[in-house]
Amino acid sequence: MWRVSLFIKNIADANTANHAVAAHTLNICAAARKAGLAITPARSIDVFRTISHVDMTSKDDYGLALRINLASTKEEEVIFDRVFNSYWNQTSDSEGGYILANSEMIKGSLDTGLSNEGHRDMVTESDSFSEADVARKANLRMRWDPLAPPLHKLIRELSKHLATRPSRRIQNAPHGDTVNIRRSIRKSVPFGMELMKLSRVTPKIRKTRIVLLCDVSGSMDVFNPFLLQLMFGIQKTLKNSRTLVFSTETNDITSLLRGQDVAEVLAKVSKTARHWSGGTNIAKALTAVNRNILVDGSARSTVLIVISDGYDSGDITSVKRELELAKRRTRSIVWINPMYGSSSFEVRAKTMKAAMPYIDEFLPAFNAQSLLKLVAGLKRLS
Amino acid sequence: MLDIPTLFKLHGYIADKAISLTTKIAFDLGKPILLEGEAGVGKTQLAKTLAAVLDTRLIRLQCYEGLDTSSALYEWNYAKQILAIRLAESSQSKQAEIENSIFTEEYLFTRPLLQAVRYKGSTPPVLLIDEIDRADEEFEAYLLELLSDFQVTIPELGTFYAEVRPVVILTSNRTRELNDALKRRCLYLWLDYPSIEKEQEIIAQHVPEINSDLTRSISEIVRNLRSIDFFKKPGIAESLDWAHALLSLNVKGISPEILFDTAGVLLKYKDDIERLKTLDVESLLVHKEHC
Repeated sequence: MWRVSLFIKNIADANTANHAVAAHTLNICAAARKAGLAITPARSIDVFRTISHVDMTSKDDYGLALRINLASTKEEEVIFDRVFNSYWNQTSDSEGGYILANSEMIKGSLDTGLSNEGHRDMVTESDSFSEADVARKANLRMRWDPLAPPLHKLIRELSKHLATRPSRRIQNAPHGDTVNIRRSIRKSVPFGMELMKLSRVTPKIRKTRIVLLCDVSGSMDVFNPFLLQLMFGIQKTLKNSRTLVFSTETNDITSLLRGQDVAEVLAKVSKTARHWSGGTNIAKALTAVNRNILVDGSARSTVLIVISDGYDSGDITSVKRELELAKRRTRSIVWINPMYGSSSFEVRAKTMKAAMPYIDEFLPAFNAQSLLKLVAGLKRLS
Repeated sequence: MLDIPTLFKLHGYIADKAISLTTKIAFDLGKPILLEGEAGVGKTQLAKTLAAVLDTRLIRLQCYEGLDTSSALYEWNYAKQILAIRLAESSQSKQAEIENSIFTEEYLFTRPLLQAVRYKGSTPPVLLIDEIDRADEEFEAYLLELLSDFQVTIPELGTFYAEVRPVVILTSNRTRELNDALKRRCLYLWLDYPSIEKEQEIIAQHVPEINSDLTRSISEIVRNLRSIDFFKKPGIAESLDWAHALLSLNVKGISPEILFDTAGVLLKYKDDIERLKTLDVESLLVHKEHC
């Protein structure tokens, strides 16, 4: 690692001729990495190449130059702004804290921070957690069952039913059912237009995107090990799927689930979904899906899977309205209710009752065994 | 020499500091820009304006599900090739001659990506890869390769290298997460709805005939509407359309009736229009402080 730092410092020396800027930049990169941003050495090097092209007398320009390289989502922009402002305030408060050889070089209004007017809503949103939410922060590592068999095989089976269907487009296949005349003729050119071998085609498989909306409220705690396995499995097997968790708030944890180290991923999810094991607001979660995920034409090839017991004391009208919208914007809505596995199960929860008319498949699943039965009994969605 | 915001303004685009700085760095470093944001905040327009500012060609690739390299890069004109083969056969041409003649420039359809690579000119073209989130992941992976080297190999013709590296702008509505590797190669910028002041400036720029009071009302009402949980919130394009509509109706001030009558210009879903009717519209029309 020290070699990368040395390399970066060398670039900085050459390009900016200022060690102070290099030190500040390295510190900010380190702070951003600590805050959860994926700051690779390549990105750090890009930052140094960038700052040599900006006006270094402006703190805002400097911050923006760093942000466009280090953040790659709207949420990461907000995190970066916080890190940058907090670093800067700390630097100007404590002279000995960070390397501060030439602080007057980068001037700017410390009270205003970066120009981030677009993030106002997000700042408010992420600051809206109650003390109880923060205190409740779930330790998901305790709920992860490392001995549970991986669900990849089952999920691949599940995806055959849910996430694939033949497209109108075609692809070459040696044993395809249809002859591709255009390609066959083209292939015949070297043989003097004699059709020596027929090219065959088969319909392409149209990949369907799965949006997994998973209830992580207190009433679902008992199913947490299975849910975590399922979320991991779906995200690993179906790369273009999206995973959201909800209780009273909703979080998109897709990018977090991409990590390889389970412990690290669970720590990040715990940190992000601070509402884990809280109350339930299904309408709010569906609203988030409708507004942020099910937009544009691609939504037609989307299957929405909701995993929830349906226990919600919220407004039924909103749930109906949002499900009606979601129904129009997806190919199918699948609702998996873990309670459905019980022999005495009846649809009693009022939200569940309200949701039933909009659901295409209502299924039970609470562990790997039940998922196996579910896959066996599930028809391919048209 | 004019600065970037002024140049953009001359072409009708109000660019804030983040946009100006990102375009400058993208141009200086030759890195693609990845723009994300809600529909209608001006992502595509930024690319168009940049092309106009640079006085260069805008090459646009509209992405969709199932987009493949034959639609994005190049394709042979099979119909013309077969016709040529038939003609050559009737004139007793040799096999090798036919093969050599039909795999030439004359029979090649160049699609946007190849056009960008083969662009000849002193100023780089602007390559707009619009709505990349709609394309498949396989195409995204191919794009990754192209954006690194800007070279394309056509087996029958050879390898083409970009003489001038295009300024690449990728836009995404965030309907799915993009590949991390692609994101890493780009400068990232999230475009949000503009502030009231910026939107006023945009409206004044595009609809100069409208008076400033009405412009302010439009900006404030649209801003208030955006705070409501509509399925599709009105974007800048809708604000401009509304300004044009109000101007053509010769409206001097906005009343609830005017808002209901022209709601179709701002809201594009029946549910949203019905929702608007259930709201306290008076409160939308009065100025709200936005923190």
